[in-house]
Amino acid sequence: MVIIEELVKKYGKFRAVDGLSMEIEKGHIYGFVGPNGAGKTTTMKIIAGLLKPTSGRVVVNGVDIADDPRGVKKKIGYMPDFFGVYDDLKVTEYMDFYAGVYGMDRRESVKIAGELLELVDLTEKKDSYVDSLSRGMKQRLCLARSLIHNPELLVLDEPASGLDPRARVEMKEILKELKDMGKTILISSHILPELSEMCTSIGIIERGRMIVSGTVEEIMKKVSHKRAIRIKVLGELDPAVRFLQEQPYIGSISAGNDHINADFDGNGETMAQLLKGMVTAGIPVMSFSETEGNLESIFMHLTGGVNDNAN
Amino acid sequence: MQINPIISKDLKIKMRGWKAPVLLTVYMVFLGLVVFLNFFGSRIFSPYDYYQFNPAVALNSYNSLATLQLLLLMFITPALTGGIISGERERQTLDLLLCTNLPTSSIITGKIVVATAHVLLLITASLPVMGTVFLYGGIRITDLLLLFAFYLATALMLGSMGAFYSSIFKKSSVSMILSYITLMVFLVGTSIAYTMWSSFSSRYTGKPPDIAQAMYFMFANPSYGFSSLVEGGNQGIGIPFVGNIFSFGMYGPYGGMPYGSGSGMVTTAIKPWMVNMAFDIIISAIFITLASIRIKPIKRLWRRRRSGIKISLLHAVNHLEKTVGSSR
Repeated sequence: MVIIEELVKKYGKFRAVDGLSMEIEKGHIYGFVGPNGAGKTTTMKIIAGLLKPTSGRVVVNGVDIADDPRGVKKKIGYMPDFFGVYDDLKVTEYMDFYAGVYGMDRRESVKIAGELLELVDLTEKKDSYVDSLSRGMKQRLCLARSLIHNPELLVLDEPASGLDPRARVEMKEILKELKDMGKTILISSHILPELSEMCTSIGIIERGRMIVSGTVEEIMKKVSHKRAIRIKVLGELDPAVRFLQEQPYIGSISAGNDHINADFDGNGETMAQLLKGMVTAGIPVMSFSETEGNLESIFMHLTGGVNDNAN
Repeated sequence: MQINPIISKDLKIKMRGWKAPVLLTVYMVFLGLVVFLNFFGSRIFSPYDYYQFNPAVALNSYNSLATLQLLLLMFITPALTGGIISGERERQTLDLLLCTNLPTSSIITGKIVVATAHVLLLITASLPVMGTVFLYGGIRITDLLLLFAFYLATALMLGSMGAFYSSIFKKSSVSMILSYITLMVFLVGTSIAYTMWSSFSSRYTGKPPDIAQAMYFMFANPSYGFSSLVEGGNQGIGIPFVGNIFSFGMYGPYGGMPYGSGSGMVTTAIKPWMVNMAFDIIISAIFITLASIRIKPIKRLWRRRRSGIKISLLHAVNHLEKTVGSSR
């Protein structure tokens, strides 16, 4: 469905995307993961026809976007990470407007807009003004807007960012429904556990380069020799993080609100010694357990460093 | 044929609420008042009999209103069009438009139409008020329609200029300021250039300046076409008010009207308003095209041309290498 070959986007000397290649198969949900500034948004904007690449190719359904940008745009529904809405416009009028932009007639647009508003659970808000909607509702409306012309490919840039947990769950449910409808979806997110649940394929990008790409199972296998531990401590996490950073068998570390995830490269004996060492060092350990490798630990392993935003 | 969705959406937003009808009402009351005071004042201060009507009063009202509306158009349109594209950028809605398959030219023209529509609505609504002059004669319906066409051309020129600057600069305020500066160059700059040239040429040739040559300097000046149009419309009676506002010191043989009926014609066939409107249409087309290209994310034509040049260069290099290789 989407083939990206040696994509480069330069801003002066800075290479936002640096020779990125990837492939998304039809009907797949492709999770695009990477730290801030990795080049996710730039890549997505290039796919959506909003940025011209410095070099490289983007082919959507066999058509090079550079050869037929308007034709490719018809096949793509794009939802940016940040977007505005028009004041003084009602939800149905908003949908009507974008239907008109895609050349749909009034009768057709009313029907499709009604169905899409039902899909994103905004039917009750159809006569409300767009600027009066909550952030979550606006995100859902923007998703409905991106679907108005029935695109084959959805490019969703951080669709769950800024949403409360309930709105995130709702967004996840909608994306599952879209997957069932046979849409191909490219989605970027920082919420890695959520991506691992719904994505069929994952691509991890850093500094504009693809580090690893493939199905979730393939990626899990690639790094499954690593063990991961989850440690809960009482109070401040920093002393525990500092202690772990000094330990020989510890790889990447991610600190959450009340726990620490760390890659562990040792055996059972060294793991027991690690726990003993922490207690001896006066760190108030509440729990210490081995966890199965998840996408987050894989991401941290591949990109390195401490992630302060882990959940 | 489908109406440009940007026009239908933006007009709906603009006309929603109480502001638009209130503005229209206030404006109409104001114009009505101007006409009333013109007639009333002329009767009070008239040296003639109270019941005797002077037709110049009606023409005076017509010219005053026509001038007022041109001033309104010139000074409000840049403010409305300066944020056409930059406003969409600031609101973060431009990407949502550009990722659709709507041509960028439709986005630009739709936005220009909407931004100028408000001013044009006020002017259209004022046509009946201006039409009071028909009760007394002196102005034909075609003159009024021609004046309206001139307003349209001027609004188009100013709107497309605002759109052009707005497509280049991120801040609406910058594009507004540049639009006003360009308008001032058109209005004042061209007049100064002509005045300087005519005074120099008179000094060295010893002949009076040729009014017809004003066209070469003033073709971009909205007041140039307008003055000829208004005075031409009233059959050369001549209302100094209009001429004095726009003549910028270029006094013709008919009391400050260098472009008036007979005096201001470039030729008998080509009149200043024709030159001015032609300029407006041509420059608008250029501005709209440039703005459309500017906001287009992927410029297909350029890419093909560039890749074509690249391929041609590669072929040339290959050919050169083969030639050099075979000669060795």
